[in-house]
Amino acid sequence: MPPRLNITPVCRTLAFRAKPLNQLPQISIAARAQARCFSDQTDGTVPQQPAGQLNPLSLPALGETKPDNTVNQQVEPEVPENHQDSNAAALHYLQLVAYGVDPRDPAVEGHKFGLPELPLPSEKHVKHRYDPIIDQMTRLLMKDGKLGKAQRDMAMILNYLRTQPPPRLNPARPLVPGHPAPSHFPLNPVQYLTIAVESIAPLAGLYRFAGLAGGGKAMEVPVPLHARKRRRIAFNWVLDTVKNKPSKGSGRAMFAHRVAEEIVAVVEGRSSVWDKRQQAHKAATASRANLNDARVKAFGLV
Amino acid sequence: MSVPNCMRCLTRPSAVATAALRPFTVPVSVSLTAAGRVAAFSTTPAQQATPQKGSKTPAGRMDARIKRMANGHVRVGKRLHVGGKKGGTRPKAPLPGERKAYRKRIQLSNSNALPVKDLAELDGEHMLSEKNVAKVLSLPTAVIDQLRTVEAFKPTQTWGLFRDPSLLIRPETVDLMNRMQDSVANKQTLRLVIDGDKLTGKSILLLQALTQAFLKDWIVINIPEAQELTAACTEYAPIPGTEPVQYMQQVYILKLIQAIRKANEKVLSRLTTAYAHPELPQHIPVSSPILALANAAKEPDSAWTVFSALWKELSSNIRGRPPILFALDGLHHIMKISKYRNAAFDLIHSHDLALIKLFTDYLSGQASLPNGGAIIAATSRNNCPVSASLELALEQRLATQNGEEPPAKKPYFKGYDSRVEGAMKSAQVLRIKGVSKLETRSLMEYWAASGLLRTTVDEVAVSEKWMLGGNGVLGEMERASLLTMRL
Repeated sequence: MPPRLNITPVCRTLAFRAKPLNQLPQISIAARAQARCFSDQTDGTVPQQPAGQLNPLSLPALGETKPDNTVNQQVEPEVPENHQDSNAAALHYLQLVAYGVDPRDPAVEGHKFGLPELPLPSEKHVKHRYDPIIDQMTRLLMKDGKLGKAQRDMAMILNYLRTQPPPRLNPARPLVPGHPAPSHFPLNPVQYLTIAVESIAPLAGLYRFAGLAGGGKAMEVPVPLHARKRRRIAFNWVLDTVKNKPSKGSGRAMFAHRVAEEIVAVVEGRSSVWDKRQQAHKAATASRANLNDARVKAFGLV
Repeated sequence: MSVPNCMRCLTRPSAVATAALRPFTVPVSVSLTAAGRVAAFSTTPAQQATPQKGSKTPAGRMDARIKRMANGHVRVGKRLHVGGKKGGTRPKAPLPGERKAYRKRIQLSNSNALPVKDLAELDGEHMLSEKNVAKVLSLPTAVIDQLRTVEAFKPTQTWGLFRDPSLLIRPETVDLMNRMQDSVANKQTLRLVIDGDKLTGKSILLLQALTQAFLKDWIVINIPEAQELTAACTEYAPIPGTEPVQYMQQVYILKLIQAIRKANEKVLSRLTTAYAHPELPQHIPVSSPILALANAAKEPDSAWTVFSALWKELSSNIRGRPPILFALDGLHHIMKISKYRNAAFDLIHSHDLALIKLFTDYLSGQASLPNGGAIIAATSRNNCPVSASLELALEQRLATQNGEEPPAKKPYFKGYDSRVEGAMKSAQVLRIKGVSKLETRSLMEYWAASGLLRTTVDEVAVSEKWMLGGNGVLGEMERASLLTMRL
């Protein structure tokens, strides 16, 4: 239960006057930096200022601001140009140039690495830094919650793909439409893997209505699948095939290389995963008639 | 000796004899009578008898499943199988050694990677000049073959990603190559240990030294993995007539001689022997080609004798003998007690193994190469047994080189090894760290030109990778940019 006496509305009525602070003399950042106590200076003394420079630390506190005219009088005497300051600014600009940032750009003035472009691209976000398909496939590779190992495996898969010769496509097993020429595959292994997974992803799955077919049998009804689930089914088929394949070598790269070989086999149309896909499609087609069942319609699946 | 046939058997025809003698024609009457009942004995010729169990013919496979009872009754398909494995065909397992060969194979080219334009080829002078620092240069084909022969490339390195093997010239490279050059000019032996953190490029620096030696026509002897010598995985035998007993590793040394012969063929073919070697199994007269001497190693048993003779020839103080580079990777493995055991079943110190003793004698300065040369060892920090003496010696040598007070031994620690201290007492230490941003940029430009780094190489990218790689640690930068899921 909130307290009956709330202090917030009272605070809202208080007026803060920012005007006197605004009218304080503007002091360059470099001068402020110079006027700071050094951290290894334990006696609290302020380093000596060059002549004619205003010491920012000796400025009056907020509460005891003097009337405007006195402040203006303090600033009005022309400060001689300080070469050290301009050097510091130039050095700062040079550093920005070294970081690859254009210092003249007003958007980045005053920022070490410039302002981020908005909306933030996904790879700049720590949780979405990898390609979404690669991320999903990595988690499917994972065993015993060892994500780091799965990520290393995925890196080795991608590296294997880019050292393999370009795949020879099988016209009987067409890949997703609009894919690039096979000679482009190895230099973009992320795309290689994506095309393989998308090509074998089943279009529909089966929803089983328990006991609806009579005699305790389930009635199977085809349902369209979301892209993410289609990819999951496809990659799990690949992993099932890999599990049954003998290992040729040993060492930590072996599993990754077997998966990668299967990916190449998929793209070249040699893999048995294509048959699984065909069977899944056949089963979905065969159970189309069940969509007309009144109880299925009443369920509102499709 | 017993008689093969007993007297009683001689009275009736034996099965073998009848099968051989009986004609193939079967009397009709016998076959007809045999049709309705099980025959007491068969008149069928032996060739048509039931096939052997487990034979490859379909009938043989069928027969393997048939159970024949004592009274001649045949049970087929009456055994009940519940659960268990159906005898599926297992795929053929790899032969012994095949798995390791697959794991350790070295691929030096990736035909998918783009060829980098304007990539100069290394020659003997490139690595000597400061102005080539932060340049990437490709290895000449002839040297690649030689380096492959001496097993200078490691399977963990990323050669397989690029079109051609290339090297980044670092300030340390130039420093080391100039030291090697000076050792030849002054006829001195460069004794040096390359040390540094994990993945900083120690083995690559050693490879650069080997490359330079090949380019300058030195004689190169390389021990690619020191642990192969001390992990008790190769044969060994005491060398007769040595006190204290030393041990030779015949098979390893035979392979080493063959590698030396193959890699240095060009240089060795110019040299002739200066000594008679009566101890050799084969007569090699004086002033016969040294290649003939190297060829004398045919059997593991004579390998050490031949190697000693070869080393005597190469390291002798004769005008015209080329400088020698004797390199070893994984120094920690030879600075400890080995896994071998002597006749009393005590563990043998690594320095009692003859080949390692030869290396440490030169590393410690007990022996020197009269025509100049280099003894270079690199440490390995990933596979690194504990050797307190070696660690201390490295720190002491570094401190001395920097003009500082060398650290002292721990007074109550008993794990020091005086033989290791002796071997390391005056070697130079070259400690390498991460590369600078300029070198990083050059390397990343090479990666990008090869098509393996798909980003713009600007200062932001360079700074990012440099920082991700632990301030320019080469291997870590490779991990962060080439061996990653974010390609």
